[in-house]
Amino acid sequence: MSVDSDMEYSDNDGDEYGDYYGEQDDCEMETVDQSKTDPEYFLFSCLRVEEVEKLLNESIELLSNSLQITPSLAKVILHAYDWNAQEIIDKYKENPNEVLIHSRVKPRVPSLSANISCSTCAVCATANSTQKYSALTCGHYFCNECWAMHFEVQIMQGVSNTIQCMAQECEVIAPEDFVLSHVAKPTLRDRYQQFMFKDHLKSHPQLRFCPGPNCQWIFRAWVREGARRVECQGCELLTCFSCGAPHHAPTDCITIRLWLTKCADDSETANYISAHTKAREALKKYLHYYERWENHARSLKLEEQTLASLKSRINQKAQLEAEIENLSWKVERAETTDRGDLENQMDIAEKRRTILLKDFLDINTNCASSSKM
Amino acid sequence: MAATRRLQKELNDIRQSGLKSFRDIQVDESNILTWQGLIVPDNAPYNKGAFRIEINYPAEYPFKPPKISFKTKIYHPNIDEKGQVCLPIISAENWKPATKTDQVIQALVALVNDPEPEHPLRAELAEEFLKDRKKFSKNAEEFTKKHSEKRPSD
Repeated sequence: MSVDSDMEYSDNDGDEYGDYYGEQDDCEMETVDQSKTDPEYFLFSCLRVEEVEKLLNESIELLSNSLQITPSLAKVILHAYDWNAQEIIDKYKENPNEVLIHSRVKPRVPSLSANISCSTCAVCATANSTQKYSALTCGHYFCNECWAMHFEVQIMQGVSNTIQCMAQECEVIAPEDFVLSHVAKPTLRDRYQQFMFKDHLKSHPQLRFCPGPNCQWIFRAWVREGARRVECQGCELLTCFSCGAPHHAPTDCITIRLWLTKCADDSETANYISAHTKAREALKKYLHYYERWENHARSLKLEEQTLASLKSRINQKAQLEAEIENLSWKVERAETTDRGDLENQMDIAEKRRTILLKDFLDINTNCASSSKM
Repeated sequence: MAATRRLQKELNDIRQSGLKSFRDIQVDESNILTWQGLIVPDNAPYNKGAFRIEINYPAEYPFKPPKISFKTKIYHPNIDEKGQVCLPIISAENWKPATKTDQVIQALVALVNDPEPEHPLRAELAEEFLKDRKKFSKNAEEFTKKHSEKRPSD
């Protein structure tokens, strides 16, 4: 089947080259030679559930016909060999026993202690001659009631393809027909078959459900491996076929998974915050000290100014005092009796004294205010 | 009920077989789904005491596995402070309806005697067990003397 499709693909490929060389058209080239321009390009199709069921059934039929086994057994074997029917057929020709043991259809060691007498069921510990007993290829007989209960519990837990025999350390798998012959409830049977289908998809390397929410489309890849971009026909979601994560080219699946895990656990954010909050702490510390330094520097300047103004005032006062002294001396030693002149000089001296006193007062208040700063 | 019949048979079988490593089995007549008993290990450093365990069977037994917890404190890499134990034979994935309680007990006793540091419940004890066995044995022995129950005399 996959061989045929590969052939088809290469046939098309050849045609495309033919077109390209024949028409020499640049526009044509882009649409035609996608496999060359797009490294992510690969052939896949979007299928509906029914189409996939048909596809799986073809494999099952092929195997059951060529090995002469029941479709139920064919399913168990296909599941164990990743749906590679050709590989199974080849190996079966070499050694049928090995294939059956590997798929856990048959027990590795033929069980000697098999309860052939069927007198008591080891699970429910009941000896009931009217009860019917059955066993898988391993020969571990249990009563049908117990089988039914076992399958019900397993199906309710979501197990379908890998339900095993009830005996301790027996790994033989119960095939579909055996399970269904013991399960009567229609809802349980439906559930079993739904899980079975999902399990088959999971074990099939070329099929994958679109990871879009509630999307029922299924991708079918035409090659068996590689991280490739697929776009869903239904929900138009772009995802990676190999891992189901959102499309992540050019990173490979393992790296992107590690990266997404890292992002999800927020460790990088924590690193970022710690790195940057450290810087912020340092900045805050710097600002705190800078402000203090600035304050001191400003105070120092203001003090200088105050000192300068004080000095100038002191000089003025010294000048005033000198003048007043000079005047009063003149008045005391006045030789002239020019009264007008004398009165004039006394008046000047008085005014200078007033100015001086007022100035002293001003300076006192100024000093008080500047020392407050 | 299937569980009752099966458990009654298992209880009779275990009592008759006289297991040396599992003694003093106590079952409340009104509730056969809960058993208590004494685990009596043979290997040092646990061979100086006995450890009480409780087995709880679900109503769906034997289609679902029983749960086991330690009622006596024990210094062991595979048994945590709450008495929970990780035993593969009774995990949901591995459980088989035909597995009997005495097989479960044997697996448990084997685990107590020979810890599995590869699958620890208490990582710090597993590390001590692997890196400093002397120290581990000394601690486990002291812990056993302090917390464990008396071993049956016979």
